[in-house]
Amino acid sequence: MNANPLVPIRGRIIKIVQETPDVKTFHVSTTGGEKPFAPKPGQLAMLSLPQAGEAMFSITSQGPNHLELAIKEVGQLTGALHQVEEGQECGIRGPYGNGFPLDYLKGKDLLFIGGGIGLAPVRSLINHCIENRAEFGKMYVVYGARSVADLVFKEDLFENWPKVENMEVYTTIDRPEEGWTGHVAFVPAYVEELGFKPMTTITCGPPIMIKFVLQALARMGFNDADVITTLEMRMKCGIGKCGRCNIGSLYVCLDGPVFTLEQLKKLPPEY
Amino acid sequence: MLAIEKKRLNELLRRMNRDFQVYVPYLENGTGKFAPYQEERELYLEMNTLLPPKDIFFPQTEKMYKFRAAGNELEIEEIAEQKEKQVVFGIRSCDAFSIDCLDKVFLSRGYEDAFYKNKRENTLLVGLACTAVGDTCFCQSMGLNPQEAVGVDLQVLDLGAEWGFKARTAAGQELLAKYGDVLHETGASPLPAEEFKLKVEVEGVPEKLSRMFDHPVWEEVSRKCLGCALCTYLCPTCHCFDVSGKVKGEEGYRFRCWDSCMFSEYTRMAGGHNPRPTKKERVRNRFMHKLSYFVERYGQLLCTGCGRCLAKCPVNMDITAVIRKIKEAEVE
Ligand SMILES: Cc1cc2nc3c(=O)[nH]c(=O)nc-3n(C[C@H](O)[C@H](O)[C@H](O)COP(=O)(O)OP(=O)(O)OC[C@H]3O[C@@H](n4cnc5c(N)ncnc54)[C@H](O)[C@@H]3O)c2cc1C
Ligand code: SF4
Ligand code: SF4
Ligand code: FES
Repeated sequence: MNANPLVPIRGRIIKIVQETPDVKTFHVSTTGGEKPFAPKPGQLAMLSLPQAGEAMFSITSQGPNHLELAIKEVGQLTGALHQVEEGQECGIRGPYGNGFPLDYLKGKDLLFIGGGIGLAPVRSLINHCIENRAEFGKMYVVYGARSVADLVFKEDLFENWPKVENMEVYTTIDRPEEGWTGHVAFVPAYVEELGFKPMTTITCGPPIMIKFVLQALARMGFNDADVITTLEMRMKCGIGKCGRCNIGSLYVCLDGPVFTLEQLKKLPPEY
Repeated sequence: MLAIEKKRLNELLRRMNRDFQVYVPYLENGTGKFAPYQEERELYLEMNTLLPPKDIFFPQTEKMYKFRAAGNELEIEEIAEQKEKQVVFGIRSCDAFSIDCLDKVFLSRGYEDAFYKNKRENTLLVGLACTAVGDTCFCQSMGLNPQEAVGVDLQVLDLGAEWGFKARTAAGQELLAKYGDVLHETGASPLPAEEFKLKVEVEGVPEKLSRMFDHPVWEEVSRKCLGCALCTYLCPTCHCFDVSGKVKGEEGYRFRCWDSCMFSEYTRMAGGHNPRPTKKERVRNRFMHKLSYFVERYGQLLCTGCGRCLAKCPVNMDITAVIRKIKEAEVE
């Protein structure tokens, strides 16, 4: 990282994967071909094309020499990013945020619930657990999107993850579609239908999905301290200075983005 | 105590200005503000300045790095201003404490803000004791002493015909030694501060507020606010900033500038979701931050009682009245 945490280092986008019509995964190295920094699962990076802007993204995965960010095209910066080609240089700074509580998760059975691009932060933890498979118990993934075209990380969902020992992957789409033989349901309903016994759960997705998932988990007897989610707030600095991302006395960029439901219930409901 | 005759103060400042960049309070078109010392200008020492000296450490806009983006390539160059040694002369107790608040924000909790640190580390603070007390001043109620500023290197006291100097740090001691030849020893004693006209009892307010997030008082308090953000721009402790950029052809720079939680776009996210959609949530956040959240996070209030916001708010939003309302509010 740069000695000045507000100034990015130079990065290079070495690979771009089209996930869905409006989501691409960007693999970012330094211009020297190294990993820009070594994040923990659940941490964040500020990525910039200084001509267009800078924004915070979950680091969805990492390799020995790169970080992966899955980015949905919604505005100025993300629009510009979706235009660039492999080889484009960019600015990157981080890692930011607390990340998932790995020590706490060790040895436990884990349920991962994702919706839409909300699988991005969860995937960093899933991949970590797969790489350190012996340290964790059974793993279940429930993931849904509006349509087949909107499912992100298809290679992981349909090829890589189902092959992992003691890991079950359930995918669903909102409405029936020709050629789709899998499940059709909204994610919260599917979770309830699958009838999991209470265990440690990590969930991220659009606010409306989260809301109903939390209700479903409560009905199923899940414990607030064992339900973990990641939050999104507007961010500018990433280091707890600009004041932008506070919820009560906490800053999501520094004290989050990962919170347990138990912690969230003690905070003002302002997110 | 070492002192200088009031009419000879310029001699001291002139000498100081040779060794440091000295900032002093001036009246400019009727507005009190800190600016670089100029020999021929008359100082404004009667009352506190309308504009606080925070921009000396945290400028209203500040360039952070420049870049060149051509084709696939990008160059990034930090704009690291090498700050010369500077002195802020005539800072009041309220504003000195606000710098202590800014230090907590910018220099603690895991990350140091290099832009702030560079200026802060190279600056000596010379406090000026208040004798006259403004109609909207209430620093005393916030636990401050108007004649004894927190964190200054040197405290200036009003001795009537002379200014007296008390060193508060080793650096302040050095200043006195350095300019000892224009100072003399005096037996005069400092004039006391006037009685405060504005008082408010803040004891217990931070704790009580932590149970008042959903209280109806916010609806009432926020009703008249125009959302103009004047209060936050004048406040010596407000420190929110935005980051933005300027591009011209292949080159450009990124900068930060003051921002305000009183603006509706402040928390609006991509897709339009806004956790603080109306002025009720925004006004609540401002008072909560000053009187409760900051206390939880850093152990001190984020209001120094300088009185600027109540003096200048177009609709007379008065933080002391809000504190009184909180005191009186019923909570389960
Ligand atoms: C902790 C965290 C993690 C994140 N992780 C990811 C991630 O993994 N992947 C990802 O893609 N994004 C992620 N984001 C979001 C990301 O930071 C950007 O906010 C988002 O991508 C928008 O970027 P932009 O600069 O292109 O949009 P901007 O140019 O800032 O504009 C946003 C767009 O949103 C819309 N919009 C803005 N305001 C309104 C309004 N008032 N009403 C209606 N629509 C409006 C407009 O279409 C506008 O163009 C994350 C954010 C946070 C804080
Ligand atoms: S100065 Fe007054 S009207 Fe303007 S934002 Fe502040 S409280 Fe509201
Ligand atoms: S809130 Fe008002 S009185 Fe308090 S420090 Fe800020 S401007 Fe001064
Ligand atoms: S992004 Fe600046 S405080 Fe969190």
